[in-house]
Amino acid sequence: MIIDINFIGLIIASIMASAVPLILASCGELITERSGVLNLGVEGMMIIGAISGFALMTVTGSLIIAIFGAMLAGVLISTIFAFLTQTLITNHVATGLALTIFGIGISAMIGKNFVGIPGKEFPVLFENLKDTIPLIGPILFGHSIVFYFAFALPFMTNYFLKKTKIGLIVRAVGDSPVSASNQGIKVRLVRYLCILYGGAMSGLAGAYLSMIYTPQWIENMTGGRGWIALALVVFSTWNPIKILIGAMIFGGLTIIQFHMQAIGVRIPVQFLTALPYIVTIIVLVVISRDSRKIRLSTPSSLGKSFHKDN
Amino acid sequence: MNTNLKISNVTKIYPGCVANDNVSLEFNSGKIYALLGENGAGKSTLVKILSGVIIPDEGEIYLNKNNLKLNSPLDAKKNDIGMVFQHFNLFETLSVFENLIIDSDEQRESLREKIDLIMKKYNFSIDLDIPVLNLSAGQKQKVEIIRCLIRNPKVLIMDEPTSVLTEQETSELFLSLKKFSEEGILIIYITHKLKEVMQLCDEVAVMRRGKLVSVSEIKNENIESLANKMVGQNLKTIKKKKAKTSSDQLIKITNLNFTSEDPFETNLMDINFSVNRGECLGIAGISGNGQSELFQVLSGEIISEKNSIEFNNSYIGNLNPQERREYLMAFSPEDRLEQAAIPQMKIFENVALNNFKSSNFFNNGLINENKIKEHSKKIISDFNVNTDNIELKSQFLSGGNLQKLIIGRELITSPDLLICFNPTWGLDVGAINYIHETLIKINEQNKSIILISTDTDELLKLSDKISVIHKGKLSKIMNAEEVTSEKLGILMGGAN
Ligand SMILES: Nc1ncnc2c1ncn2[C@@H]1O[C@H](COP(=O)(O)OP(=O)(O)OP(=O)(O)O)[C@@H](O)[C@H]1O
Ligand SMILES: [Mg+2]
Repeated sequence: MIIDINFIGLIIASIMASAVPLILASCGELITERSGVLNLGVEGMMIIGAISGFALMTVTGSLIIAIFGAMLAGVLISTIFAFLTQTLITNHVATGLALTIFGIGISAMIGKNFVGIPGKEFPVLFENLKDTIPLIGPILFGHSIVFYFAFALPFMTNYFLKKTKIGLIVRAVGDSPVSASNQGIKVRLVRYLCILYGGAMSGLAGAYLSMIYTPQWIENMTGGRGWIALALVVFSTWNPIKILIGAMIFGGLTIIQFHMQAIGVRIPVQFLTALPYIVTIIVLVVISRDSRKIRLSTPSSLGKSFHKDN
Repeated sequence: MNTNLKISNVTKIYPGCVANDNVSLEFNSGKIYALLGENGAGKSTLVKILSGVIIPDEGEIYLNKNNLKLNSPLDAKKNDIGMVFQHFNLFETLSVFENLIIDSDEQRESLREKIDLIMKKYNFSIDLDIPVLNLSAGQKQKVEIIRCLIRNPKVLIMDEPTSVLTEQETSELFLSLKKFSEEGILIIYITHKLKEVMQLCDEVAVMRRGKLVSVSEIKNENIESLANKMVGQNLKTIKKKKAKTSSDQLIKITNLNFTSEDPFETNLMDINFSVNRGECLGIAGISGNGQSELFQVLSGEIISEKNSIEFNNSYIGNLNPQERREYLMAFSPEDRLEQAAIPQMKIFENVALNNFKSSNFFNNGLINENKIKEHSKKIISDFNVNTDNIELKSQFLSGGNLQKLIIGRELITSPDLLICFNPTWGLDVGAINYIHETLIKINEQNKSIILISTDTDELLKLSDKISVIHKGKLSKIMNAEEVTSEKLGILMGGAN
């Protein structure tokens, strides 16, 4: 069997494309969690982003408005979460789950009018360079701006957390909100901003799905990617670079599934769908064998509410 | 330059408690001030007001005649007031340097230089690039102090800095504080250790139930006079009567070993000892030499070989704490709020946690709340816990009252053996006296105690036999009469 080298390039490129929404949403959620907030509403924020992006594109015709509108929609819905968990001190887990249910419901309602409408073509960059280098060409060139942004994001997130003052403050708040508050850091403000940022990134991830990856609106089109993004954050042990690796593995699973079926290898779809979660659990088991390591990598206050006076 | 800090008519009221009641005080640089008072007297509240963490209901603060508006910790920092809190305020998973740079406006390089200078000047040596959780308590404290010094403070407040320090670390701290004072930093020092006050301070202010009750110069005071001022009455000095030696063996530890996977824990090597009925065995040592591991092995938090622990003629090394309780053992761990009690739970719920089979707290899996509450009330009155509300969350009890509750909870089952680990750290003299009296009474009833403590005076006061733990090994067991604190000190340092 002769395998065309460009075909391998294409497969890798398609794996990367399916990793994009995972990277975006995970990197956003990673910042949220690093500040000590557990937002389980990623799936909900993503689907709101997806319908907002698609709807704005159809109505206004402007891709830029649609992309930024989707991010804004993510910000708005995460504001609800932030207000509930930070101002009214509700439980993070329950509120996050409610957010997902809310997001799925409201997107289906708005989306009714947009079912079956064809999407618009999203411009790609460096299209002409695609065929110049074998294997590498299809991998590197001919993608949307969001694609390039997604692959730069883990590195930027890493730089932000490790090298900038604000990144340090985010980590400090996640480590000990009480100490941070005693040092004069405005814990609630920091957490608000981290939640809204996570919302924006989830919104963008959703818009990527409905505007670029499969340009159309289908009800429930995020199909559990929000949950995988959440699992990815844990899988990565809150390290943005590992998110990149994890997203490639998890994204690759879906693509490989197609190709395996084509060659005649049959693995139940359900197993492949479950695989990301199984892998995450295995990773968790492995890292939790070393209690110091898990202590150092997990934001200590994750999911715990912070009241000013105690 | 002289610094003058004035607190004027400060009041802070919490629901059900006046933490600071119209307090006025004045401080001048060049002196070290002690702030004394029982648990819950309002010392921490007062200094938290000075550092902007708590906003008072009434009253003013003046620094060099300027009225300060301290609405946030940042305001205090801007006005050169630095504070080391009672509970560490560090970010454990961040590196030392990250902990220091977080509230500094300086560039990395210049800050590093500055920190190096400070460390050289005061003889600190700390690796700036390891996470704080790898540091010892003394080192963490130094990080907190460096954090204050970076800002060239005019005022430095220390809230019970030595309750977690070894004696060596304490004397190092005192040297630094004296240096700071000579350099013109005004120092306010909170402690329960009256010896330290006599050693270190120039003036002393005493608070009781939120009120300031006395301000005086140290040269006019002694340990007894200070203790009496704090408690408001004459403290009786307690002394243990020499126990009639019994030869009735209660617990025997043979060739007990523990090897930890965590490189920051201490391994226990070949522990052998026995305790007779009616006896108190004291285990001395500088903290971090295996005391907490030893406590966990004895309590069953860490399970060992079955035959390594013989209690009342049964082998129990492989039993968990719950099962050991059934054999009439009781435990009082070091960390009151994390290990001994659950802070968010109510007093009576915490009492029920000592789920002793014969206590009948649970009937067929259901909670017998009346029984538990009745029992809790008995503990509160028998052990002099200063509250009458058993529905109160345990976190709002002062350290001393929580400790009395825990000891009370453990003793109400009339155990044959009580194992305690630093039972009086952070407690005021009155509460310490009470706990000591209780422990002596236990021995008088022919029950036994294993007292693991870093406080040498306490050990000499209460023990019949003493051993020293060093790097996970026990010294030979000595009769308490033959031991002096000098001798203990030498053994604690690792000499033979
Ligand atoms: N957030 C709060 N809510 C209600 N009561 C409080 C609160 N904080 C402190 N208190 C009460 O205020 C009083 C003074 O507390 P504070 O911490 O100042 O005592 P302290 O003198 O520092 O005692 P210790 O020696 O045990 O540290 C105590 O009775 C305490 O129970
Ligand atoms: Mg205090």
